Amino acid sequence: MARVYNWQIRREMSYWYPESRPKRQFAAVFDTNKCIACQTCTLACKTTWTSGKGQEYMLWNNVETKPYGFYPLAWDVNLLEKLGTQSWDGERYTGRTIFEAAQAGERVLGWRPEDIDYANPNVGEDDCVNGVEKGAHFSGVHNAWFFYLARICNHCTYPACLASCPRGSIYKRQEDGIVLIDQGRCRGYQECVKACPYKKTFYNTMTGTSEKCIACFPKIELGLQPQCFANCIGKIRFAGWISKPEQARADNPIDFLVHVKRVALPLFPQFGLEPNVYYIPPLNVPREFLLQMFGPNVDAAIEAYRNAPNDKDLAGLLTLFGSTDRIVTKWKRIDEQMLGYDEGGKEIVRVPVREPAHVRQAFDAARGVARTNVS
Amino acid sequence: MGCRTQQMEQSLQQPYVILSRRRRISVFEILHFVQDDIRTVRFFLTSVIILSLVLAGCGEKGPPVSESEVRAVFEKTIPSNLDDKAWEQIPVHHAKLLLQDMVEPRLMQASTAFVDVQSVTDGQKIIFRLSWNDQTLDDVPGPGRFGDAVAVQLPATPTPDVPAPQMGENGKPVEITYWSAILQAIVNGRKDDIQAIYPYANVGHYPFEAAPLKQGSATQQEMAKRYAPARSLENPMSGPRTVPVQDLIAEGPGTLRAAEKILSNGSGKHSQAGWTVVIVRPFPSGVQLGGRTQVAFAVWEGSHQEVGAKKMRTAWIPLSLGSSK
Repeated sequence: MARVYNWQIRREMSYWYPESRPKRQFAAVFDTNKCIACQTCTLACKTTWTSGKGQEYMLWNNVETKPYGFYPLAWDVNLLEKLGTQSWDGERYTGRTIFEAAQAGERVLGWRPEDIDYANPNVGEDDCVNGVEKGAHFSGVHNAWFFYLARICNHCTYPACLASCPRGSIYKRQEDGIVLIDQGRCRGYQECVKACPYKKTFYNTMTGTSEKCIACFPKIELGLQPQCFANCIGKIRFAGWISKPEQARADNPIDFLVHVKRVALPLFPQFGLEPNVYYIPPLNVPREFLLQMFGPNVDAAIEAYRNAPNDKDLAGLLTLFGSTDRIVTKWKRIDEQMLGYDEGGKEIVRVPVREPAHVRQAFDAARGVARTNVS
Repeated sequence: MGCRTQQMEQSLQQPYVILSRRRRISVFEILHFVQDDIRTVRFFLTSVIILSLVLAGCGEKGPPVSESEVRAVFEKTIPSNLDDKAWEQIPVHHAKLLLQDMVEPRLMQASTAFVDVQSVTDGQKIIFRLSWNDQTLDDVPGPGRFGDAVAVQLPATPTPDVPAPQMGENGKPVEITYWSAILQAIVNGRKDDIQAIYPYANVGHYPFEAAPLKQGSATQQEMAKRYAPARSLENPMSGPRTVPVQDLIAEGPGTLRAAEKILSNGSGKHSQAGWTVVIVRPFPSGVQLGGRTQVAFAVWEGSHQEVGAKKMRTAWIPLSLGSSK
């Protein structure tokens, strides 16, 4: 075991290999508040990558309803229970990561789902916490809650799948930090399936190998966002590149959202993988739940997000989500417009900080009639 | 019933004696007495049967035992299958299995204790007959599911200082022939598709099988490969699964790779007693008939989640090639 630094938990930790960060790291921000669980992302991925034999059950991208939705069943709560108490001292995680909590003989603390655990990918869909009384209607704050959590592979800085593979069949690309399973070398031991806390590696019964989300690397190489991003109806996703906190560039959209505004947070940072998909936490969920899921900066992230109407830079960046299928590596705001640039410094998208809106009056004075939605 | 003992005679008569002594007796009590009596008779008969089987067994002579080495006996023709009568004369080496607890992921809880090894060579090929106790038949792959397996390992070239017994070492490769129950099931006729494993699987559409592609055509096959990247890269795990074995080479843990060609073959059969598998591989290179080398074995118990490094294995065992019976 080597000692590596994980900035998400603000401390050194044990990892199977020494620290070796890629030249640049693929990253993404998902705005959970905008997801409607239409599963268009799921299908975009499914039809692109997992239509083969043995891949029938695989969803490299999935959207689940939290807290009762899981794919595979109980993927997060199973591990949380195994890991035991997870304590933070401010922003420093003082509990054990899954590498530090590995049982004797193992490289990573994990568990291995069976086929039945994948059998109901949308179990818990739209089930909310607390019953809704008959006749209840929305009149402000309500206590019933759920939210949609869209998930892909996190292309972690310290991947558990990579650490666990006894054959070294999993590698992290130096050029973009994307984590891949070498399909020529894998022998289907499923150690990665057991180790990945997010359960984003899958065993293919027909090829006898394990497979996973490849972040649509052929698209990334062309400067395009992955399929699940480009097809997102709710425009909740934004792909790009993330720097280490001390090297953050304010004009890099991902750095700005994660490091400067700190509005987007990693999923279960306490596991210790330094995952690279960042979530803007949902507003309507009890903080205790969010603290466990996204770490100790939830309050600040929600506050920053709520302040977006007064923060033109943040509002503009959120409007860039889903506005182009290309990867925006740099942004600039000119008054009420937000501009996105590609790697060559070429402008590829320009959006208003606030979408223009026209409100029609409920009563049409010219015709002397009340307007309805169909008029 | 001349073999009845006095005790048995008494036990057979007992219920009637008791019943005759008691004038008032409930139905439940009668049942209780009858059950007791049946148990006694059953116990006695079972004992007689076991004893007679043991005595009968003593009359049969099992294969001789070779304690210190695996003796590959020279025969002009190697046994054709695992049930061949010839095996009855071939010495058995009772190989003790150890936990693979040297490299992670380690096996922490022992499972299979021994593998019985017999071997025959004709100077061209060498065959190993391996049998071990395994109550569960595990030959279906899937998430969280692993198949039973066994492997034979020999040094790629015999040297005075043998490679490390666990998968060899850098510069000192080992040759491994790996037999898998999953492969065996497919070779035995289980269809190599998803419906064979999940009979109720209902798949609406595979793009590479849709019209106007002609099933089996070169274009269709080429397209199907795109949806199975491991197959495109000719990973032996992904088939073709025409023999139940793989020939592999390793130079230390984690370095296992496919040999250029599969030259070995084998077959396996599961019964209540466990697995019996034969593995036929080429005669070890660099050794003459009558010479010696080393051999090691590994056994994986699928139901115990054993796969890859998680296995029971032996140390190197001396292997004499072409010895007499």
